[in-house]
Amino acid sequence: MTLRTAPSPGSRTRRAPGPVDRARRIRTRRRLRAADLMVALVWASVAAAVALWLASGGLNAVTDAASALTAAGIVTGLIGTDLILVMLVLAARIPAIDRVVGQDRAIAFHRQLGKPALYLILAHGALLTVGYAMADGSNVVTETISLFQGPDMALAYLGLGLLVAVVITSVVAVRRRFSYEAWHLVHLLSYAAVLVALPHQLSAGGVLADGTLQRVYWIGLYVLAFGAIAVFRFAVPALRSARHGIRVAGVEQIAPGVVSIHLEGRELNRLGTAGGQYAIWRFWTGVTWWHAHPISFSAVPTATSARITVRDLGTGSAAIGRVRPGTRVSIEGPYGVFTEAHRVAPKLAVVAAGIGITPIRSLLEHSGLRPGEATVILRGTDPTQSYLWNEIGDLPGMRGNAVYTMMGARPHGLATWMSAEALSRGVTISTAFPDLLNSDLYVCGPQSWTDLVIRDARAAGLPEAQIHVERFDW
Amino acid sequence: MRARALVLGILSSTAVLAVGWQLGTQGETQPAPDAVAASTAGTSTPGTPTVTPDATSTPAPSASASAAATAAPAATPTPTVAGGVSGTFTGTSVQTRFGPVQVQITVADGTITDVTALQLTDKDQRSVSISNRAAPVLRQEVLTAQSANVQGVSGATYTSDGYLSSLQSALDQAGL
Repeated sequence: MTLRTAPSPGSRTRRAPGPVDRARRIRTRRRLRAADLMVALVWASVAAAVALWLASGGLNAVTDAASALTAAGIVTGLIGTDLILVMLVLAARIPAIDRVVGQDRAIAFHRQLGKPALYLILAHGALLTVGYAMADGSNVVTETISLFQGPDMALAYLGLGLLVAVVITSVVAVRRRFSYEAWHLVHLLSYAAVLVALPHQLSAGGVLADGTLQRVYWIGLYVLAFGAIAVFRFAVPALRSARHGIRVAGVEQIAPGVVSIHLEGRELNRLGTAGGQYAIWRFWTGVTWWHAHPISFSAVPTATSARITVRDLGTGSAAIGRVRPGTRVSIEGPYGVFTEAHRVAPKLAVVAAGIGITPIRSLLEHSGLRPGEATVILRGTDPTQSYLWNEIGDLPGMRGNAVYTMMGARPHGLATWMSAEALSRGVTISTAFPDLLNSDLYVCGPQSWTDLVIRDARAAGLPEAQIHVERFDW
Repeated sequence: MRARALVLGILSSTAVLAVGWQLGTQGETQPAPDAVAASTAGTSTPGTPTVTPDATSTPAPSASASAAATAAPAATPTPTVAGGVSGTFTGTSVQTRFGPVQVQITVADGTITDVTALQLTDKDQRSVSISNRAAPVLRQEVLTAQSANVQGVSGATYTSDGYLSSLQSALDQAGL
């Protein structure tokens, strides 16, 4: 490792916890409380779905095998739909959720719910068909045909088909056999899938009958989920884009396949961007207008300018590197919890690899760092990956803080985040960051590399709350 | 902190479920406003849900019947001897969310001898099959009890409520 800036002489003295730390502790406590409440709310909403059925006297209707199957079908349908609505809320980019847990964790939870929700909805259809068939003394095929002729049932089957398509493309897309853009378009079908299922929920069965509180609650859930999406995914970004009038000012190639896009607009400082955040950008050219991309700010916006830096990871982001100055840009965001606001510890340890430097750059720019507070390691395989490195040491806040670089390939056959050279010298995460356990660790880089850093940090005894990660995947 | 989320989640879920269960067991289900709840039709334990298709009381829930369904209750009482009233009495047509329900009773000497369903819930295929299943059971229960004071058929709440409600109005006309 090479030392890029000299640490200040006072960096070794331990600082007593000051008012900054107390404020940080209070903020952390509030945030964790809000997160716990949100988790409890999800639990309660699932319970409420079952309670709807209980309140309609559902238990009394269970008398034999057929009615038990029918009841199970109703309950799985209610829970499955509730989970899908929860998924919509998680994906709605509600500011409160982003502030508390971060959009990436919300989406991770959204993804976890996908398959269980689909299984519940499939079970709902299967159980009810079998239950009805048993009660009527007919068979499953006849019953399905008869169900299909019900007023809203054809729509419900359509919704089921769409839901299957959405989940399958998501699972395939996660395995990278699908482009992000195509997956995104198919994913929008989930809105249609949820909406067309609503009529049969209200007209068939007795749980959500006219004039009942259950019906009011259920419609309220739908309004909440779709309202959140309409407001936070469509209205707010549209208004924000119109208000700030963002355009491309220039595109600067800073390394092979890596470009910094300079943006200009009105009152960009009022976006309220915190260092380390990202936004989802849409460039209005003929080839790029139909897909939006999450890209980190590589500098905190000023009143008139902003800068984002992106490496072409897919065909879509490659096209972004070719946009012309003057191109209109719309923004969704800023989002993200890879910010100073989520710090809990007195010191700061930072590791960035490759394009992961972008949020790190703006994070460090935005942090009011004292001398000796931060230690930064910049990691690259070869000199082509050292983009923006020269800017780090020049940041005003980095005065008196150490920046190290670790260049070189990882050793073959060893799972490590360090270079072979550093490893051979006996460097570990604890020697790289001597005050690690008193630090917030901010990590940004490729997924597998990031996982290895976190593995080492955990092994060194760093608490989970002090580990902050920005993932560059979707 | 995860532990606190878990505890909060379990507590709130339990509370919500308890409220739902309480509402559900508080006697009646909440009836839809357009379905006149029969005073006696509970959704509590059913009697004998043995479905025996009864040839004598084939319900004919046809679309043509709905035109006549709203006609004023017709009663043709025959003056009789001491024993009691005789004749056929048609109950009011009761609207449910799955279609109107109307029944007619035949009374001989103060005894209900037959119940005919003039119209049963028929909004869709599913309603028709529920009606076909419930009507024979309800008829048998009414003939046995000689009143509308019988248990409804489980899984056929709306049909049962409408059936017994219409039946009660027929009984009222007959003065039974």
